[in-house]
Amino acid sequence: MESSTNAPMKRVFECKLCRLTAPYSYYGQKPPNTHSIVLLEDCYIMKDPFTPTKDKFLILGSQCSLCKTLVCIDPECSLFYSKRFCLPCVNENIKEFPWEIRQDLDKRKAQAKSQHHKGTESKT
Amino acid sequence: MSSAKRTLGNRWDWSCPETRKQLEDVFFRDQDYIRSGSEESRDFWNFFERFQRFQSNQRTERREEGKERKAGKGAHPGLADLPKDYDPRYRINVSVLSKDMEMRILGQGQKKAERQKRSHQGSGSERIPGEKVAEFRMAMLHFLDFTQKQGFAKLAKLQRERAGLPIAQYRDKIVQMVRKHRVVVVAGDTGCGKSTQVPQYLLAAGFNCIACTQPRRIACISLAKRVGFESLNQYGSQVGYQIRFESTRSPATKIVFLTEGLLLRQIQQEPELPQYQVLIVDEVHERHLHSDFLLGVLRQLLSLRRDLKVILMSATINIKLFSEYFDRAPVVQVPGRLFPIQVIFQPIPQEEMNLKSEKLDIRPYLRVMQAIDHRYPPEERGDLLIFLSGVAEITAVLEAAQAYATHIKRWIALPLHSTLSVAEQDKIFDMAPPGVRKCIVSTNIAETSVTIDGVRFVLDSGKVKEMSFDPKAKMQRLQEFWISRASAEQRKGRAGRTGPGVCYRLYAESDYDAFAPYPVPEIQRVALDALVLQMKSMNLGDPRTFPFIESPPTSSLETAILYLRDQGALDSAEHITPIGSLLAKLPVDVVIGKMLILGSLFSVVEPILTIAAGLSVQSPFLRRAQNNPDCSTARKPLESEHGDPFTLLNVFNEWVQIKSSRRANSRKWSRRRGLEEQRLYEMANLRRQFKELLKDHGLLEDSVAGPSDSYSRLQARRERRQLYHLKRQHEETKGRKRKVLKLKDEDTVGSSSDEGGTAEASSVGEVNSVDIQDIKFKLRHNVEELQASSGESWDPSGQHITLLKLIVCRGLYPQLALPDEFNSCRKDSDQIFHTKNKAGVVLHPTSVFCSNPELLQVEGIQDDRNRAVKDSRKNVSSHHQLLAFVSLLETNKPYLVNCVRIPALQALLMLSRSLDTNADCSRMVVDGWLEVRIVESETALRLLSTAVQLRAEWEETLSLQLSNKSNVDKEKGRERKKISALAWSLLDYIKCKADYSIHRLAGVEMEKLYIGPQTVPDNSCLPGVFPSTMMMKPDHIKGGYAVTSFLTYNCLTSDMDFYSECLRTFWTCPHCGLYMPFTPIERMSHEASCKPEEAVVDQGTMVPAEQVARSASTLSLQRPYHCDTCEKDFMFTSTEILKHRRQHQGNL
Repeated sequence: MESSTNAPMKRVFECKLCRLTAPYSYYGQKPPNTHSIVLLEDCYIMKDPFTPTKDKFLILGSQCSLCKTLVCIDPECSLFYSKRFCLPCVNENIKEFPWEIRQDLDKRKAQAKSQHHKGTESKT
Repeated sequence: MSSAKRTLGNRWDWSCPETRKQLEDVFFRDQDYIRSGSEESRDFWNFFERFQRFQSNQRTERREEGKERKAGKGAHPGLADLPKDYDPRYRINVSVLSKDMEMRILGQGQKKAERQKRSHQGSGSERIPGEKVAEFRMAMLHFLDFTQKQGFAKLAKLQRERAGLPIAQYRDKIVQMVRKHRVVVVAGDTGCGKSTQVPQYLLAAGFNCIACTQPRRIACISLAKRVGFESLNQYGSQVGYQIRFESTRSPATKIVFLTEGLLLRQIQQEPELPQYQVLIVDEVHERHLHSDFLLGVLRQLLSLRRDLKVILMSATINIKLFSEYFDRAPVVQVPGRLFPIQVIFQPIPQEEMNLKSEKLDIRPYLRVMQAIDHRYPPEERGDLLIFLSGVAEITAVLEAAQAYATHIKRWIALPLHSTLSVAEQDKIFDMAPPGVRKCIVSTNIAETSVTIDGVRFVLDSGKVKEMSFDPKAKMQRLQEFWISRASAEQRKGRAGRTGPGVCYRLYAESDYDAFAPYPVPEIQRVALDALVLQMKSMNLGDPRTFPFIESPPTSSLETAILYLRDQGALDSAEHITPIGSLLAKLPVDVVIGKMLILGSLFSVVEPILTIAAGLSVQSPFLRRAQNNPDCSTARKPLESEHGDPFTLLNVFNEWVQIKSSRRANSRKWSRRRGLEEQRLYEMANLRRQFKELLKDHGLLEDSVAGPSDSYSRLQARRERRQLYHLKRQHEETKGRKRKVLKLKDEDTVGSSSDEGGTAEASSVGEVNSVDIQDIKFKLRHNVEELQASSGESWDPSGQHITLLKLIVCRGLYPQLALPDEFNSCRKDSDQIFHTKNKAGVVLHPTSVFCSNPELLQVEGIQDDRNRAVKDSRKNVSSHHQLLAFVSLLETNKPYLVNCVRIPALQALLMLSRSLDTNADCSRMVVDGWLEVRIVESETALRLLSTAVQLRAEWEETLSLQLSNKSNVDKEKGRERKKISALAWSLLDYIKCKADYSIHRLAGVEMEKLYIGPQTVPDNSCLPGVFPSTMMMKPDHIKGGYAVTSFLTYNCLTSDMDFYSECLRTFWTCPHCGLYMPFTPIERMSHEASCKPEEAVVDQGTMVPAEQVARSASTLSLQRPYHCDTCEKDFMFTSTEILKHRRQHQGNL
């Protein structure tokens, strides 16, 4: 829908899991305008839209090192542990991950549940 | 290792500023991601402290828990090289390098980097051990990871919210519709997200150059901000706004929010509006004058521009009307997001109706507050919004509510209406402390313009005060009406924005059913002068046949056309005149536009700019300060005895003086005088816009502005840089945070004592914050120039002010009022006045003449003498005055608003549209409603004759100025001289004396006013008064002779001999010394032709030297000035004094 004929071809990042979309301006490990920062994976990056300073960037997402799916960095979609893993891959191989990560995921699950519950409550 | 850490830890101090500085010097350099001293570095250190605490907690925890890891073997080759021992470091995908090593470490292992880091550190700063540096680095990585996650979470939340809006489901449908059709109506109720989302959907779908109009300026700003934020363009230039004085628009802007009026002005300049591809007209259901007109214009534009897309956005009110107006345009209807609202009809019982007294009975309002207290526990949050019709009602309810609040301590009552100061209006957005509800007592401003979150209860009085226009009396009337059903629903909806709510209605359901379905559109109830003028200037043809969405009343259109003809903006064929097209370009009322043009003619443009601006903004005088004795005392010196526009001039000039002095605080100064400073800023902006418009049209020459020497230029540049810096700083720390309101103490019911208190409190709070308005003002205006020009109007001689008054009055004419002849016997507050169409109007309480009625008393009338003398000599004086007024406003009484006093006879002779005389001109009827009897006919004749000449000269110079043909300097010089001479003649004229009486004609008198067409035997035309103009012709309606366009001679019925027009009396011509008998007409004719060219300047009794000085300086008001530095005397204007002084400064 977005890529209409007369639209300028904008590079848009889309998370294949949550469908979040955002325009990105750089893909790689060395964000532009920053001298002292290197990323440990190839990332989709945009200029941080929430600050006026030019050289601040925002990492949107990257490829899952196992299944190569494009995922955003939302903890609901992926995690980084020396490499990027999408959550489905993590869950599939959960035993390979350290205990701390597993515990973290469990905690997050519980939290999401209660939050979701709260969210619906406040709406009624 | 751990023991070493511990021993160090005892002495190690992370918060030591030197340590921090050392680290910052290495890691937070200018080229690094975090810079030393920035907001972010402060954030980092805060984070650092929290991180340290967290880590020490973790360490102890981890020691207690035994951790095991079942190493599954090779489930996936990609998982094989996962680090064996868990470390939070592995969860971070960012690494930090120090610039110097960047090349070497790229792509290498982390350990090596660490090593090198350490050695590098060793050379720079011995005192920080390697572990500490590593610790710092680790914290920095965590900080970066944290900020990234935080930023991403914000982005994700934003997108979730957008996707959750009701309109999101209609996104594809709307885009498709707009692709397929040229006009689409999007109807959705409050909260559906149409205003913010539709422009973004269209932009994302590939449409470009999108304009979205709003009825209110404030909405343009807030929408541009919101949409910029949502489209991740907060700091980009894709989304902007454009309002009267502010624009964030650039060539890169793709979505612009602008006011309806501004879009209309753009169409005026470029009828096909080539800069836009999509026009979104928002809030069309509000039916503002401009939006109704805009729809008509767009309908015509669509036939010119086949590629243009128009989207109308409205609440779900009367959608059919809009759809059908545009050829049955398709409608996309979006449900709003409202929670259920319980409606309780609670009509006011008969005994509380209080039909007789003006005062509102507050009991029904208190009952609702009590009911809320009984029914809902205080821990259930939710505020109350009360809709009332006007400020008086608000004050009454507020007082009662505050009294109740102090008693029960569960409420904070706040007023909301447009005449409140901006700061006071902002208060309603603050939060109440727990267990306390806000009670916001508001006009219908809270129905659409202001949205307050957290309202759960609405109390609707069902009343609204609306301005209506009486075309016959040309009077605005503020009347109370029942609201419409649409408004009632809108008010109710305010209770259900954040949760389910309750709406109390102080009327019966049957009343509701009897309400009109929709409010009366603005076009049906306001004066249409400006609209008609704009239509004419846009070549839209006859306004009577323009296809409005709903036509305005014919009488309003006719009144407007007649008025514009009267003002010379349209000619007799209703074509726009040069002056008319100029007026159409000035974004002000016709009367004020005229003042500007006249002001530029006489080179008194600076004060006129200020007056015009002052009359075009809301009054800066805060109503609440009216009763505050301190404020009125402080205001007193600013009051002008000449009238309210001059008080405004004084206020502004004084304010500018305060602004330009470095030490004074203009905010405090304004507050002390009960002035809303915002209005003064608006005035400054407006007068600058006027000035630019006048320059654009060649009515004002470009002054060579700016400091002359390089030193002051440098200084000015430095100051500007500093201001920009402050402005940016302010923008970075972003607006105002919500505060928590405080429950008031028992003794603060009185509003005045409260005011003093808040003033003190807020001034304390302001010490640190910058006055952003002040900075914007100083960036936008050249304060020194303003100061110089504001100084110029301080003219002790009073000449200046007389000329200004004449200009203001010519602009305002025929809006005149005559003081009642018995005013001297009335109480101060009971002074009454009469206009042509309305008898018995009173002064607005804010007027200077209301507090100083003696300024209007006629001197020189002695009652006992009058009684003795015959009727005809009653009320004779040479000091009669008239009031020119800016508007006539009826609320509970008809009020004259913004008055200027002016000598009656002279003003009438100079300005009137129609002057009818008797044979010896001793009796005149002005504009068919005022009768003037001049005691000596000789004086009458002299005055009339001079008036005829001066008016002709005035017209001539004015049209010359407007046609703007002379480019030769020499010619210009001559012109200037002529104008200057004219100004002095006019001043002399205003000063001349005559004894006369003046009264308003009664109905009976008007019936037999004119002799009517006569069959005079000698029907031949008399020679014209001016050789150049046409011959005098008999007037076929009034009788007598039409001498000029405004003067009809000898058409009044009188007891005198009709043939006295033929009577000759002896008279000496002051110019040529001719002495012979003349008839009145012959004499006027002679005077007009006998004027020698050189004598033009020589009107008064000036000595020649003075004469030269006067004409050369063109009234620029030089005054003696002694310079202490160079010890010389000069004749300088204020500007010149300033320049001179600066010279000395530069030399120092």
